[in-house]
Amino acid sequence: MVSELPQAAPDASPSAPPVIEVAGLVKRYGNFVAVDGIDLSVAEGEIFGILGPNGAGKTTTLEMIEGLRQPDAGEIRVAGFDAISQSEQVRRVIGVQLQTTALFDYLTAAELIELFAGLYNVDGSPERVNALLDMVGLREKRSARVDELSGGQRQRLSIALALVNQPRVAFLDEPTTGLDPAARRDLWQTIRDVRASGTTVVLTTHHMEEAEVLCDRVAIMDRGRIIACDTPQGLIRSLGTAATIQASFVGGSLPAHALRALPGVTDSTSRDSQLELRTRDVQQSLVALLDLASRAGVTLADLRSAQPSLEDVFLALTGRQYENEETAEAEQPAPAKRLRRR
Amino acid sequence: MRPLLVMIKANLKMAVRNRAALFWNLVFPALFIIIFGVVFGGNEGINITVGITGESPALRDATVQAMEQTDAITVKTGPVESELQALRDGDRDVVIVFGSQPEQGQPPVELYYDETDGPNAQVAVGVVRQILLTVAQEEDPLQIAQTPVAGEDISFIDFFVPGVLAMALMNSGVIGLSTAFVAYRERGILRRIKVTPFPLTSFITARVVSQVIVAVAQALILVGLAKVLFGLKIRGNLLLILIAILIGALAFLAIGFAIAAVSRNVEVAASYSNLITFPMLFLSGVFFSLDSAPAWLRPISKVLPLSYLVDALREPMTRGQGLDAIWLDLLILLATLVVCLAVAVRFFRWEARSS
Repeated sequence: MVSELPQAAPDASPSAPPVIEVAGLVKRYGNFVAVDGIDLSVAEGEIFGILGPNGAGKTTTLEMIEGLRQPDAGEIRVAGFDAISQSEQVRRVIGVQLQTTALFDYLTAAELIELFAGLYNVDGSPERVNALLDMVGLREKRSARVDELSGGQRQRLSIALALVNQPRVAFLDEPTTGLDPAARRDLWQTIRDVRASGTTVVLTTHHMEEAEVLCDRVAIMDRGRIIACDTPQGLIRSLGTAATIQASFVGGSLPAHALRALPGVTDSTSRDSQLELRTRDVQQSLVALLDLASRAGVTLADLRSAQPSLEDVFLALTGRQYENEETAEAEQPAPAKRLRRR
Repeated sequence: MRPLLVMIKANLKMAVRNRAALFWNLVFPALFIIIFGVVFGGNEGINITVGITGESPALRDATVQAMEQTDAITVKTGPVESELQALRDGDRDVVIVFGSQPEQGQPPVELYYDETDGPNAQVAVGVVRQILLTVAQEEDPLQIAQTPVAGEDISFIDFFVPGVLAMALMNSGVIGLSTAFVAYRERGILRRIKVTPFPLTSFITARVVSQVIVAVAQALILVGLAKVLFGLKIRGNLLLILIAILIGALAFLAIGFAIAAVSRNVEVAASYSNLITFPMLFLSGVFFSLDSAPAWLRPISKVLPLSYLVDALREPMTRGQGLDAIWLDLLILLATLVVCLAVAVRFFRWEARSS
């Protein structure tokens, strides 16, 4: 089963063996199947995102790989170790940030890093502590106690703790949830830095935009299953649409069949002086559309083109609109509002 | 070894920085010692009113004479009935009734004291005994119709400090540990530890070791305070007292772990802890001896672990007794430890119950 995995994940680099291999993973709670037989393969050095709405099974999946939950079926290998029978070895080579930021009170940022270095029995020298604080941008908060840190700073500290043992893989469970847009962007950069330092990153998120701009590959999870797994570009490309071009027009008519004949266009609608084109090649189609309009003496207004997003992928795969997660997160503080894609 | 030591060090750091815990573990018992010490007096400045009555004039008059020479004692004499009435009215602390002179040896002596007078009566009885024994020492052994006490005079503070020490050990063990541990579980810190290579057993060991270090420091500070301010006298073997402190601290930590294991959240843990510690505070002889408590109350005190810790500390500290006087106390505390640990292990959970 496990040996078949590289074929199951075509984008995994064939040269490096996957650092995580998951096959047939199942977790049930009573009659509820939280994780319904998933296969995963994560290559060394990538930022791998597990994307899905709340309740899709992302955290359960992550926590089974981390060894926090016992799977009901399936196999998990992390860095060559069996996650169930060799959990001790696995814990030594992974770093974990849990969904809830769990930090001891009454300790400073530097003391916490020192403590965790001690628990892993790895280098906890002031130089090492400073290097980790630098990596997550908390150097000036070195002597601040945990309760003096903002939510974003705690998340960063929590990530620093996940890196104390220079792990092969760092698991970050919804690292940006509850952060304001600026803090979220800062954290993305931190995560890229982590990967640049040689650590594979596996993260969960329910933010489509985050998965799209941050992750090398994304597994879209819904109702306990992985419904797609590829690079964000690959997922979007699989829709067969590069972009949507929309415009209103005055002074004539642009028949749908003429629009559909434009180069690159895969589909078109034209109604009440509104047109919409789906295209594989936005530049080619746009040039041809402008040419067509000027020859027909038509004036185009409100011309705009939009890239399809992972939301469109989710819609195409599930037939459901991707939920606005903020309604499900009423307890989140106000600055946590998600950046709307325009 | 390094992970364990690092964890212990961090625990101690957190203990010192936790102001609320510091208050309950140190300031609160220290205030008890200071307030009670000031109110009921230290070794100096006690004033006891003793009524002396009964037959056997020789010994009686010698006692009156000896007591009148003591500044701390005011002597009253009169018929038996009126002296006992004065005791009931609160005008006497102790009444000594001498029995009829036998053919040989000393007459029997009965001591009456007001059991509602609490610590004062304990002190007064101690002082009176001491003087009686001194007066009668050249004669045949004196028979006093009370349980014998140590030959030295026991001041209130000597009686009180072991009780407060036991209370402090109980509070930090039960309330401190259970709420802290449940908070660790609720906030996901236990899960965070679980994904490191640091084993749970080490995490708990580190917690226990640091709590025991805190307990010993607590004992040293409280005893030192009582010694400096009120002239506390410790009579027994220091090693034995230390052993009693250690076993007591461990037993109450185990109770704390058991509560943590069965409590859903911090509020529940705090409720259980208070439910368990509050009765013990008053029914375990912390503030006054239960020797004179109503008969129906005594069995209750016998099932409270704190009674045994109070006894295990008071016998050596106050009365200078050895292991033979407290081995049963220590055994019962160890049994408490084992039972509570079993409960804790049985019901232990890494994760907060999801609501």
